[in-house]
Amino acid sequence: MKKIIVENLKYKYPLTDELALKGISFDVEKGEFIGIVGKNLSGKSTLCQALVGLVPHFYKGGYGGKVIVDGLEVSKSEISELSQKVGIVFQNPFTQVTSCKLTVYEEIAFGLENMGISREEMRKRIDDSLKLLDIYKFKDRNPFDLSGGQMQRMAIASIIAMRPEIIVLDEPTSQLDPKGSEEVFKAIQNLSKKGMTVIMVEHKMEKIAKYSDRVMILNDGEIVDFDIPQKIFSRGDLDKYCVSAPAFTKICKGLGIKSKATGLYPITIDEAYDLVVNYNE
Amino acid sequence: MKVLSLYQERDTIIHKVDPISKILYIIISIAIPIIMPYKTIGLVCMGVSIVLLLIAKVFKKVIPLVSFSMIILLSIIIIQGLFNDSNKTAAFRIGSIVFYKEGLLFALEICIRVINILCAFAILVLTTKPSDLIESLVRRGLSPKIGYVLSSVLQIIPQMSSTMATITDAQRSRGMETEGKLKVRIKAFVPLIGPVVMNSLINTRERAMALEVRAFNSKANKTYLNEEQNNSYNKAIKLILVILFIFVVAWRILI
Repeated sequence: MKKIIVENLKYKYPLTDELALKGISFDVEKGEFIGIVGKNLSGKSTLCQALVGLVPHFYKGGYGGKVIVDGLEVSKSEISELSQKVGIVFQNPFTQVTSCKLTVYEEIAFGLENMGISREEMRKRIDDSLKLLDIYKFKDRNPFDLSGGQMQRMAIASIIAMRPEIIVLDEPTSQLDPKGSEEVFKAIQNLSKKGMTVIMVEHKMEKIAKYSDRVMILNDGEIVDFDIPQKIFSRGDLDKYCVSAPAFTKICKGLGIKSKATGLYPITIDEAYDLVVNYNE
Repeated sequence: MKVLSLYQERDTIIHKVDPISKILYIIISIAIPIIMPYKTIGLVCMGVSIVLLLIAKVFKKVIPLVSFSMIILLSIIIIQGLFNDSNKTAAFRIGSIVFYKEGLLFALEICIRVINILCAFAILVLTTKPSDLIESLVRRGLSPKIGYVLSSVLQIIPQMSSTMATITDAQRSRGMETEGKLKVRIKAFVPLIGPVVMNSLINTRERAMALEVRAFNSKANKTYLNEEQNNSYNKAIKLILVILFIFVVAWRILI
Protein backbone atom coordinates (compact mmCIF):
# COMPACT_ATOMS: atom_id res chain seq x y z
CA MET A 1 0.00 0.00 0.00
CA LYS A 2 1.40 3.38 -0.97
CA LYS A 3 1.42 5.88 1.92
CA ILE A 4 2.93 8.83 0.13
CA ILE A 5 2.63 9.61 -3.55
CA VAL A 6 4.41 12.66 -4.92
CA GLU A 7 3.81 13.50 -8.56
CA ASN A 8 5.86 16.12 -10.34
CA LEU A 9 5.94 18.44 -7.31
CA LYS A 10 7.12 21.95 -8.10
CA TYR A 11 7.30 24.73 -5.58
CA LYS A 12 8.52 28.30 -5.45
CA TYR A 13 8.71 30.34 -2.24
CA PRO A 14 7.03 33.75 -2.40
CA LEU A 15 9.38 36.61 -3.42
CA THR A 16 11.93 34.26 -4.99
CA ASP A 17 12.61 33.57 -8.67
CA GLU A 18 13.99 30.07 -8.51
CA LEU A 19 12.05 26.90 -7.88
CA ALA A 20 12.89 25.27 -4.56
CA LEU A 21 11.53 21.94 -5.79
CA LYS A 22 11.81 21.24 -9.51
CA GLY A 23 9.40 18.48 -10.39
CA ILE A 24 9.86 15.75 -7.81
CA SER A 25 8.13 12.39 -8.13
CA PHE A 26 8.41 9.35 -5.86
CA ASP A 27 6.32 7.13 -3.68
CA VAL A 28 6.74 5.49 -0.32
CA GLU A 29 5.23 2.25 0.98
CA LYS A 30 3.69 1.85 4.41
CA GLY A 31 6.25 1.17 7.16
CA GLU A 32 9.28 2.19 5.12
CA PHE A 33 12.16 4.11 6.70
CA ILE A 34 13.34 6.70 4.18
CA GLY A 35 16.50 8.76 4.60
CA ILE A 36 16.88 12.05 2.73
CA VAL A 37 20.40 13.40 2.21
CA GLY A 38 21.84 16.28 0.26
CA LYS A 39 23.72 19.51 0.70
CA ASN A 40 22.30 22.62 2.35
CA LEU A 41 19.59 24.41 0.35
CA SER A 42 18.97 21.35 -1.78
CA GLY A 43 15.27 21.38 -0.84
CA LYS A 44 15.22 18.77 1.92
CA SER A 45 13.30 20.86 4.43
CA THR A 46 10.97 22.18 1.76
CA LEU A 47 10.15 18.63 0.72
CA CYS A 48 9.48 17.68 4.36
CA GLN A 49 7.17 20.62 4.78
CA ALA A 50 5.39 19.79 1.54
CA LEU A 51 4.44 16.42 3.03
CA VAL A 52 2.70 17.96 6.04
CA GLY A 53 1.01 20.82 4.19
CA LEU A 54 3.09 23.74 5.51
CA VAL A 55 4.06 24.04 1.86
CA PRO A 56 1.88 25.53 0.37
CA HIS A 57 -0.68 26.42 3.10
CA PHE A 58 1.64 28.19 5.53
CA TYR A 59 4.05 29.85 3.12
CA LYS A 60 1.73 30.29 0.10
CA GLY A 61 3.90 30.72 -3.01
CA GLY A 62 3.76 28.91 -6.37
CA TYR A 63 2.75 25.25 -6.26
CA GLY A 64 2.46 22.62 -8.94
CA GLY A 65 1.96 18.89 -9.04
CA LYS A 66 0.37 16.64 -6.48
CA VAL A 67 1.19 15.23 -3.07
CA ILE A 68 -1.10 12.52 -1.74
CA VAL A 69 -0.53 11.46 1.84
CA ASP A 70 -2.53 8.50 3.11
CA GLY A 71 -5.27 9.23 0.59
CA LEU A 72 -5.47 12.96 1.32
CA GLU A 73 -4.38 15.45 -1.30
CA VAL A 74 -2.20 17.93 0.57
CA SER A 75 -3.02 21.04 -1.45
CA LYS A 76 -6.75 20.52 -0.84
CA SER A 77 -6.62 19.60 2.85
CA GLU A 78 -6.08 21.68 5.94
CA ILE A 79 -2.94 21.45 8.04
CA SER A 80 -4.90 20.49 11.15
CA GLU A 81 -6.50 17.62 9.25
CA LEU A 82 -3.16 16.49 7.84
CA SER A 83 -1.45 16.76 11.22
CA GLN A 84 -3.38 13.74 12.44
CA LYS A 85 -1.91 11.64 9.63
CA VAL A 86 1.56 13.11 9.34
CA GLY A 87 3.68 14.50 12.15
CA ILE A 88 6.77 16.62 11.64
CA VAL A 89 9.67 17.35 13.99
CA PHE A 90 11.78 20.39 13.10
CA GLN A 91 15.48 21.09 13.56
CA ASN A 92 15.29 23.70 16.29
CA PRO A 93 13.86 22.22 19.49
CA PHE A 94 13.54 25.61 21.22
CA THR A 95 10.93 26.95 18.85
CA GLN A 96 8.91 23.78 19.03
CA VAL A 97 8.06 24.36 22.66
CA THR A 98 4.54 25.75 22.65
CA SER A 99 5.47 28.03 25.58
CA CYS A 100 1.97 28.01 27.00
CA LYS A 101 2.47 24.94 29.18
CA LEU A 102 4.38 24.75 32.43
CA THR A 103 5.45 21.11 32.50
CA VAL A 104 6.79 18.61 29.99
CA TYR A 105 3.76 16.43 30.61
CA GLU A 106 1.32 19.22 29.71
CA GLU A 107 3.50 20.25 26.80
CA ILE A 108 3.08 16.83 25.22
CA ALA A 109 -0.64 16.98 25.90
CA PHE A 110 -0.98 20.15 23.80
CA GLY A 111 -1.50 18.43 20.45
CA LEU A 112 -3.77 15.80 21.97
CA GLU A 113 -5.96 18.45 23.60
CA ASN A 114 -6.38 20.13 20.23
CA MET A 115 -7.29 16.82 18.60
CA GLY A 116 -9.95 16.18 21.22
CA ILE A 117 -8.57 12.95 22.66
CA SER A 118 -10.20 11.69 25.86
CA ARG A 119 -8.33 12.16 29.13
CA GLU A 120 -7.54 8.48 29.84
CA GLU A 121 -6.29 7.91 26.30
CA MET A 122 -4.25 11.11 26.56
CA ARG A 123 -2.49 9.99 29.75
CA LYS A 124 -1.72 6.60 28.25
CA ARG A 125 -0.25 8.08 25.09
CA ILE A 126 1.81 10.68 26.96
CA ASP A 127 3.28 8.07 29.30
CA ASP A 128 4.09 5.81 26.34
CA SER A 129 5.86 8.49 24.35
CA LEU A 130 7.76 9.86 27.36
CA LYS A 131 9.04 6.37 28.15
CA LEU A 132 9.85 5.63 24.53
CA LEU A 133 12.17 8.65 24.40
CA ASP A 134 13.45 8.11 27.92
CA ILE A 135 12.37 11.48 29.32
CA TYR A 136 9.72 10.21 31.74
CA LYS A 137 11.84 11.37 34.66
CA PHE A 138 11.60 14.99 33.47
CA LYS A 139 7.82 15.00 33.15
CA ASP A 140 7.25 17.65 35.84
CA ARG A 141 9.99 20.04 34.71
CA ASN A 142 9.39 23.28 32.90
CA PRO A 143 10.00 22.67 29.16
CA PHE A 144 12.41 25.59 28.96
CA ASP A 145 14.56 24.16 31.76
CA LEU A 146 15.53 21.14 29.68
CA SER A 147 18.84 20.86 27.86
CA GLY A 148 18.90 21.01 24.06
CA GLY A 149 18.98 17.24 23.74
CA GLN A 150 16.17 16.67 26.22
CA MET A 151 14.11 19.33 24.47
CA GLN A 152 14.69 17.60 21.16
CA ARG A 153 13.44 14.33 22.61
CA MET A 154 10.43 16.15 23.99
CA ALA A 155 9.71 17.58 20.53
CA ILE A 156 9.78 14.06 19.07
CA ALA A 157 7.70 12.68 21.94
CA SER A 158 5.04 15.34 21.49
CA ILE A 159 4.61 14.36 17.85
CA ILE A 160 4.72 10.62 18.53
CA ALA A 161 2.00 11.03 21.18
CA MET A 162 -0.30 12.23 18.41
CA ARG A 163 0.14 8.77 16.82
CA PRO A 164 0.49 9.87 13.21
CA GLU A 165 0.82 7.14 10.60
CA ILE A 166 3.72 8.96 9.00
CA ILE A 167 6.42 10.86 10.84
CA VAL A 168 8.73 13.35 9.14
CA LEU A 169 11.92 14.21 11.02
CA ASP A 170 14.04 17.13 9.87
CA GLU A 171 17.47 16.62 11.49
CA PRO A 172 15.96 15.44 14.75
CA THR A 173 19.24 14.60 16.45
CA SER A 174 21.26 17.76 15.79
CA GLN A 175 21.49 18.58 19.52
CA LEU A 176 22.00 15.05 20.78
CA ASP A 177 25.24 13.35 21.78
CA PRO A 178 26.19 10.11 19.96
CA LYS A 179 24.57 7.90 22.61
CA GLY A 180 21.42 10.02 22.63
CA SER A 181 21.07 10.02 18.86
CA GLU A 182 21.57 6.25 18.73
CA GLU A 183 18.75 5.86 21.28
CA VAL A 184 16.47 8.14 19.30
CA PHE A 185 17.23 6.25 16.09
CA LYS A 186 16.45 2.94 17.82
CA ALA A 187 13.17 4.33 19.16
CA ILE A 188 12.20 5.52 15.70
CA GLN A 189 13.21 2.23 14.13
CA ASN A 190 10.91 0.49 16.60
CA LEU A 191 8.02 2.66 15.50
CA SER A 192 8.91 1.96 11.90
CA LYS A 193 8.80 -1.79 12.58
CA LYS A 194 5.35 -1.33 14.09
CA GLY A 195 4.19 0.07 10.76
CA MET A 196 4.84 3.79 11.07
CA THR A 197 6.26 5.31 7.90
CA VAL A 198 9.37 7.37 8.65
CA ILE A 199 10.91 10.12 6.52
CA MET A 200 14.16 11.44 7.96
CA VAL A 201 16.54 14.17 6.90
CA GLU A 202 19.92 13.63 8.52
CA HIS A 203 23.57 14.41 7.99
CA LYS A 204 24.86 11.50 10.06
CA MET A 205 25.49 9.08 7.18
CA GLU A 206 26.43 6.10 9.34
CA LYS A 207 23.00 6.30 10.96
CA ILE A 208 21.16 6.78 7.68
CA ALA A 209 23.03 3.81 6.17
CA LYS A 210 22.24 1.62 9.15
CA TYR A 211 18.55 2.38 9.62
CA SER A 212 17.08 3.42 6.26
CA ASP A 213 15.30 1.09 3.89
CA ARG A 214 15.81 3.53 1.04
CA VAL A 215 17.82 6.73 0.69
CA MET A 216 17.04 9.75 -1.46
CA ILE A 217 19.73 12.16 -2.66
CA LEU A 218 18.39 15.63 -3.33
CA ASN A 219 20.36 18.24 -5.23
CA ASP A 220 19.10 21.70 -6.24
CA GLY A 221 15.49 20.71 -5.85
CA GLU A 222 15.75 17.52 -7.89
CA ILE A 223 16.01 13.85 -6.99
CA VAL A 224 19.40 12.49 -8.03
CA ASP A 225 18.78 8.98 -6.88
CA PHE A 226 16.34 7.08 -4.69
CA ASP A 227 17.39 3.55 -3.89
CA ILE A 228 18.60 1.13 -1.23
CA PRO A 229 21.48 2.59 0.84
CA GLN A 230 24.06 0.09 -0.49
CA LYS A 231 23.49 1.31 -4.05
CA ILE A 232 23.37 4.97 -3.05
CA PHE A 233 26.61 4.91 -1.10
CA SER A 234 28.41 2.82 -3.73
CA ARG A 235 27.95 5.62 -6.28
CA GLY A 236 31.18 7.19 -7.43
CA ASP A 237 29.85 10.75 -7.72
CA LEU A 238 28.70 11.38 -4.15
CA ASP A 239 31.15 14.27 -3.72
CA LYS A 240 29.35 16.17 -6.45
CA TYR A 241 26.27 16.31 -4.23
CA CYS A 242 28.23 17.02 -1.04
CA VAL A 243 27.23 13.66 0.39
CA SER A 244 29.90 11.60 2.06
CA ALA A 245 29.53 7.84 2.34
CA PRO A 246 29.81 6.20 5.78
CA ALA A 247 33.39 5.74 6.99
CA PHE A 248 33.22 1.95 6.50
CA THR A 249 32.14 2.37 2.89
CA LYS A 250 34.96 4.83 2.23
CA ILE A 251 37.57 2.48 3.67
CA CYS A 252 36.29 -0.45 1.62
CA LYS A 253 36.14 1.73 -1.49
CA GLY A 254 39.76 2.63 -0.91
CA LEU A 255 40.70 -1.00 -0.49
CA GLY A 256 38.43 -2.15 -3.31
CA ILE A 257 36.46 -4.52 -1.09
CA LYS A 258 33.07 -5.23 -2.63
CA SER A 259 30.40 -7.75 -1.88
CA LYS A 260 30.75 -10.48 -4.49
CA ALA A 261 27.02 -11.18 -4.58
CA THR A 262 25.85 -7.66 -5.35
CA GLY A 263 28.98 -5.85 -6.50
CA LEU A 264 28.25 -3.07 -3.96
CA TYR A 265 30.34 -1.66 -1.13
CA PRO A 266 29.36 -2.41 2.49
CA ILE A 267 27.64 0.38 4.42
CA THR A 268 27.63 -0.73 8.04
CA ILE A 269 30.41 -1.87 10.30
CA ASP A 270 29.04 -5.41 10.44
CA GLU A 271 28.89 -5.79 6.68
CA ALA A 272 32.37 -4.28 6.37
CA TYR A 273 33.71 -6.65 9.03
CA ASP A 274 32.27 -9.71 7.31
CA LEU A 275 33.71 -8.69 3.95
CA VAL A 276 37.15 -7.84 5.32
CA VAL A 277 37.33 -11.17 7.15
CA ASN A 278 36.26 -13.02 3.97
CA TYR A 279 38.66 -10.98 1.87
CA ASN A 280 41.63 -11.95 4.00
CA GLU A 281 40.80 -15.62 4.15
CA MET B 1 13.00 29.12 34.93
CA LYS B 2 11.42 32.46 35.67
CA VAL B 3 7.77 32.81 34.86
CA LEU B 4 6.12 36.16 34.80
CA SER B 5 3.59 35.68 37.56
CA LEU B 6 2.87 36.57 41.16
CA TYR B 7 1.49 33.12 41.93
CA GLN B 8 2.52 31.74 45.30
CA GLU B 9 2.69 27.98 45.66
CA ARG B 10 0.90 27.01 48.89
CA ASP B 11 -1.35 24.17 49.87
CA THR B 12 -4.41 25.89 51.30
CA ILE B 13 -8.14 25.70 50.88
CA ILE B 14 -8.16 29.00 48.96
CA HIS B 15 -5.75 27.62 46.35
CA LYS B 16 -8.20 24.82 45.65
CA VAL B 17 -11.09 27.13 44.79
CA ASP B 18 -11.58 27.36 41.05
CA PRO B 19 -10.56 30.58 39.25
CA ILE B 20 -14.07 31.40 38.09
CA SER B 21 -15.33 31.53 41.69
CA LYS B 22 -12.49 33.90 42.49
CA ILE B 23 -13.40 36.15 39.56
CA LEU B 24 -17.00 36.11 40.73
CA TYR B 25 -15.78 37.03 44.21
CA ILE B 26 -13.86 40.02 42.80
CA ILE B 27 -16.88 41.31 40.95
CA ILE B 28 -19.21 40.92 43.90
CA SER B 29 -16.87 42.31 46.52
CA ILE B 30 -16.36 45.39 44.38
CA ALA B 31 -20.04 45.74 43.54
CA ILE B 32 -21.42 45.39 47.07
CA PRO B 33 -19.77 48.52 48.57
CA ILE B 34 -20.94 50.47 45.52
CA ILE B 35 -24.51 49.25 45.83
CA MET B 36 -24.54 49.73 49.61
CA PRO B 37 -22.53 52.90 50.13
CA TYR B 38 -21.83 52.54 53.84
CA LYS B 39 -18.35 52.53 55.27
CA THR B 40 -19.13 49.56 57.48
CA ILE B 41 -20.09 47.42 54.48
CA GLY B 42 -16.88 48.47 52.72
CA LEU B 43 -14.91 47.59 55.83
CA VAL B 44 -16.63 44.21 56.08
CA CYS B 45 -15.79 43.39 52.43
CA MET B 46 -12.20 44.48 52.97
CA GLY B 47 -12.05 42.45 56.16
CA VAL B 48 -13.36 39.32 54.40
CA SER B 49 -10.74 39.68 51.65
CA ILE B 50 -7.97 40.11 54.22
CA VAL B 51 -9.15 37.04 56.17
CA LEU B 52 -9.17 35.03 52.93
CA LEU B 53 -5.64 36.22 52.15
CA LEU B 54 -4.54 35.21 55.66
CA ILE B 55 -6.08 31.74 55.21
CA ALA B 56 -4.22 31.44 51.89
CA LYS B 57 -0.99 32.41 53.71
CA VAL B 58 -0.18 35.09 51.15
CA PHE B 59 -0.97 38.21 53.18
CA LYS B 60 2.70 39.21 53.35
CA LYS B 61 2.76 39.49 49.54
CA VAL B 62 -0.17 41.92 49.60
CA ILE B 63 1.61 44.45 51.80
CA PRO B 64 3.99 45.68 49.05
CA LEU B 65 1.03 45.96 46.65
CA VAL B 66 -0.95 48.04 49.12
CA SER B 67 1.99 50.17 50.18
CA PHE B 68 2.67 50.95 46.52
CA SER B 69 -0.83 52.35 46.18
CA MET B 70 -0.34 54.29 49.44
CA ILE B 71 1.33 57.09 47.51
CA ILE B 72 -1.85 57.68 45.55
CA LEU B 73 -4.08 57.17 48.57
CA LEU B 74 -2.09 59.69 50.61
CA SER B 75 -2.49 62.31 47.92
CA ILE B 76 -6.23 61.62 47.84
CA ILE B 77 -6.43 62.08 51.62
CA ILE B 78 -4.52 65.37 51.47
CA ILE B 79 -6.43 66.83 48.56
CA GLN B 80 -9.88 65.77 49.76
CA GLY B 81 -9.08 66.80 53.33
CA LEU B 82 -8.06 70.27 52.21
CA PHE B 83 -10.22 71.07 49.21
CA ASN B 84 -13.41 68.94 49.17
CA ASP B 85 -16.52 70.95 48.16
CA SER B 86 -18.52 70.08 51.25
CA ASN B 87 -15.74 70.86 53.73
CA LYS B 88 -17.25 72.69 56.73
CA THR B 89 -16.13 71.31 60.07
CA ALA B 90 -12.44 71.48 60.79
CA ALA B 91 -10.99 68.18 62.04
CA PHE B 92 -7.43 69.17 62.90
CA ARG B 93 -4.76 71.58 61.77
CA ILE B 94 -1.06 71.25 61.04
CA GLY B 95 0.45 74.70 61.32
CA SER B 96 -1.78 76.92 59.24
CA ILE B 97 -3.18 74.05 57.12
CA VAL B 98 -6.68 72.94 58.10
CA PHE B 99 -8.01 69.45 57.38
CA TYR B 100 -11.80 69.11 57.22
CA LYS B 101 -13.89 66.22 58.50
CA GLU B 102 -16.17 65.83 55.45
CA GLY B 103 -13.28 65.60 53.02
CA LEU B 104 -11.38 63.17 55.22
CA LEU B 105 -14.41 60.88 55.52
CA PHE B 106 -14.85 60.94 51.76
CA ALA B 107 -11.18 60.12 51.31
CA LEU B 108 -11.51 57.27 53.82
CA GLU B 109 -14.33 55.79 51.76
CA ILE B 110 -12.21 55.91 48.60
CA CYS B 111 -9.27 54.33 50.45
CA ILE B 112 -11.42 51.48 51.73
CA ARG B 113 -12.70 50.81 48.22
CA VAL B 114 -9.24 50.89 46.66
CA ILE B 115 -7.77 48.55 49.27
CA ASN B 116 -10.81 46.33 48.93
CA ILE B 117 -10.31 46.08 45.14
CA LEU B 118 -6.59 45.42 45.59
CA CYS B 119 -7.17 42.66 48.12
CA ALA B 120 -9.89 41.03 46.05
CA PHE B 121 -7.64 40.95 42.98
CA ALA B 122 -4.72 39.77 45.11
CA ILE B 123 -6.72 36.68 46.07
CA LEU B 124 -7.03 35.78 42.40
CA VAL B 125 -3.52 36.72 41.34
CA LEU B 126 -1.59 35.28 44.27
CA THR B 127 -3.44 31.99 44.66
CA THR B 128 -4.19 31.01 41.06
CA LYS B 129 -1.74 29.69 38.50
CA PRO B 130 -2.07 31.90 35.39
CA SER B 131 -2.32 28.77 33.24
CA ASP B 132 -5.25 27.46 35.32
CA LEU B 133 -7.03 30.77 35.07
CA ILE B 134 -6.60 30.93 31.30
CA GLU B 135 -7.61 27.31 30.87
CA SER B 136 -10.82 27.81 32.80
CA LEU B 137 -11.61 30.88 30.71
CA VAL B 138 -10.98 28.90 27.51
CA ARG B 139 -13.31 26.19 28.81
CA ARG B 140 -15.98 28.86 29.18
CA GLY B 141 -15.67 30.01 25.60
CA LEU B 142 -12.64 32.28 25.42
CA SER B 143 -10.98 31.73 22.04
CA PRO B 144 -8.06 29.27 22.43
CA LYS B 145 -5.97 31.64 20.32
CA ILE B 146 -6.37 34.50 22.77
CA GLY B 147 -5.79 32.06 25.61
CA TYR B 148 -2.58 30.94 23.94
CA VAL B 149 -1.37 34.52 23.50
CA LEU B 150 -2.05 35.32 27.15
CA SER B 151 -0.29 32.28 28.55
CA SER B 152 2.64 32.26 26.14
CA VAL B 153 3.47 35.90 26.87
CA LEU B 154 4.13 34.94 30.48
CA GLN B 155 6.86 32.54 29.36
CA ILE B 156 8.15 34.27 26.24
CA ILE B 157 9.02 37.55 27.95
CA PRO B 158 11.47 35.91 30.39
CA GLN B 159 12.79 33.93 27.39
CA MET B 160 13.41 37.14 25.48
CA SER B 161 15.19 38.75 28.41
CA SER B 162 17.51 35.76 28.64
CA THR B 163 18.14 35.99 24.88
CA MET B 164 18.94 39.65 25.45
CA ALA B 165 21.46 38.69 28.15
CA THR B 166 23.12 36.17 25.78
CA ILE B 167 23.35 38.74 23.01
CA THR B 168 24.74 41.34 25.40
CA ASP B 169 27.47 38.90 26.43
CA ALA B 170 28.20 38.01 22.80
CA GLN B 171 28.51 41.67 21.78
CA ARG B 172 30.65 42.44 24.80
CA SER B 173 33.02 39.62 24.00
CA ARG B 174 33.53 41.27 20.62
CA GLY B 175 34.60 44.43 22.37
CA MET B 176 31.45 46.47 22.45
CA GLU B 177 31.06 48.73 25.45
CA THR B 178 27.66 48.37 27.03
CA GLU B 179 28.28 50.08 30.34
CA GLY B 180 29.33 53.55 31.36
CA LYS B 181 28.05 56.93 30.27
CA LEU B 182 24.60 57.47 28.81
CA LYS B 183 26.07 58.17 25.37
CA VAL B 184 27.88 54.81 25.36
CA ARG B 185 24.73 53.01 26.44
CA ILE B 186 22.62 54.65 23.73
CA LYS B 187 25.22 53.69 21.13
CA ALA B 188 25.16 50.10 22.38
CA PHE B 189 21.39 49.90 22.25
CA VAL B 190 20.90 49.41 18.50
CA PRO B 191 23.31 46.47 18.01
CA LEU B 192 21.73 44.84 21.05
CA ILE B 193 18.06 45.28 20.28
CA GLY B 194 18.40 44.48 16.54
CA PRO B 195 19.31 40.82 16.98
CA VAL B 196 16.73 40.36 19.75
CA VAL B 197 13.92 41.60 17.51
CA MET B 198 15.10 39.62 14.46
CA ASN B 199 15.56 36.54 16.58
CA SER B 200 12.05 36.81 17.99
CA LEU B 201 10.54 37.29 14.55
CA ILE B 202 12.24 34.15 13.23
CA ASN B 203 11.30 32.21 16.35
CA THR B 204 7.71 33.33 16.01
CA ARG B 205 7.48 31.98 12.49
CA GLU B 206 8.95 28.64 13.49
CA ARG B 207 6.74 28.44 16.55
CA ALA B 208 3.69 29.19 14.43
CA MET B 209 4.59 26.22 12.22
CA ALA B 210 5.14 24.00 15.24
CA LEU B 211 1.70 24.94 16.56
CA GLU B 212 0.08 24.34 13.17
CA VAL B 213 1.39 20.80 12.96
CA ARG B 214 0.13 20.11 16.44
CA ALA B 215 -3.42 20.67 15.25
CA PHE B 216 -3.77 24.08 16.88
CA ASN B 217 -6.35 25.09 14.29
CA SER B 218 -8.22 21.83 14.53
CA LYS B 219 -11.99 22.08 14.47
CA ALA B 220 -12.42 19.11 16.77
CA ASN B 221 -13.84 19.81 20.21
CA LYS B 222 -10.93 20.58 22.48
CA THR B 223 -10.35 18.30 25.46
CA TYR B 224 -8.27 19.04 28.55
CA LEU B 225 -5.58 17.07 30.31
CA ASN B 226 -6.42 18.54 33.71
CA GLU B 227 -9.79 17.86 35.22
CA GLU B 228 -11.84 20.91 35.96
CA GLN B 229 -12.08 21.71 39.67
CA ASN B 230 -15.82 21.92 39.55
CA ASN B 231 -16.89 19.92 42.56
CA SER B 232 -19.94 20.62 44.69
CA TYR B 233 -17.80 22.73 47.02
CA ASN B 234 -16.95 25.15 44.24
CA LYS B 235 -20.54 25.20 43.05
CA ALA B 236 -21.67 26.06 46.58
CA ILE B 237 -19.26 28.99 46.73
CA LYS B 238 -20.61 30.39 43.49
CA LEU B 239 -24.20 29.88 44.59
CA ILE B 240 -23.61 31.65 47.93
CA LEU B 241 -21.92 34.57 46.17
CA VAL B 242 -24.76 34.95 43.69
CA ILE B 243 -27.44 34.71 46.41
CA LEU B 244 -25.59 37.30 48.45
CA PHE B 245 -25.47 39.60 45.46
CA ILE B 246 -29.18 39.22 44.72
CA PHE B 247 -29.96 39.84 48.36
CA VAL B 248 -27.92 43.06 48.36
CA VAL B 249 -29.57 44.31 45.17
CA ALA B 250 -33.04 43.46 46.49
CA TRP B 251 -32.28 45.23 49.75
CA ARG B 252 -31.17 48.29 47.87
CA ILE B 253 -34.32 48.40 45.72
CA LEU B 254 -36.71 47.81 48.63
CA ILE B 255 -35.19 50.16 51.16
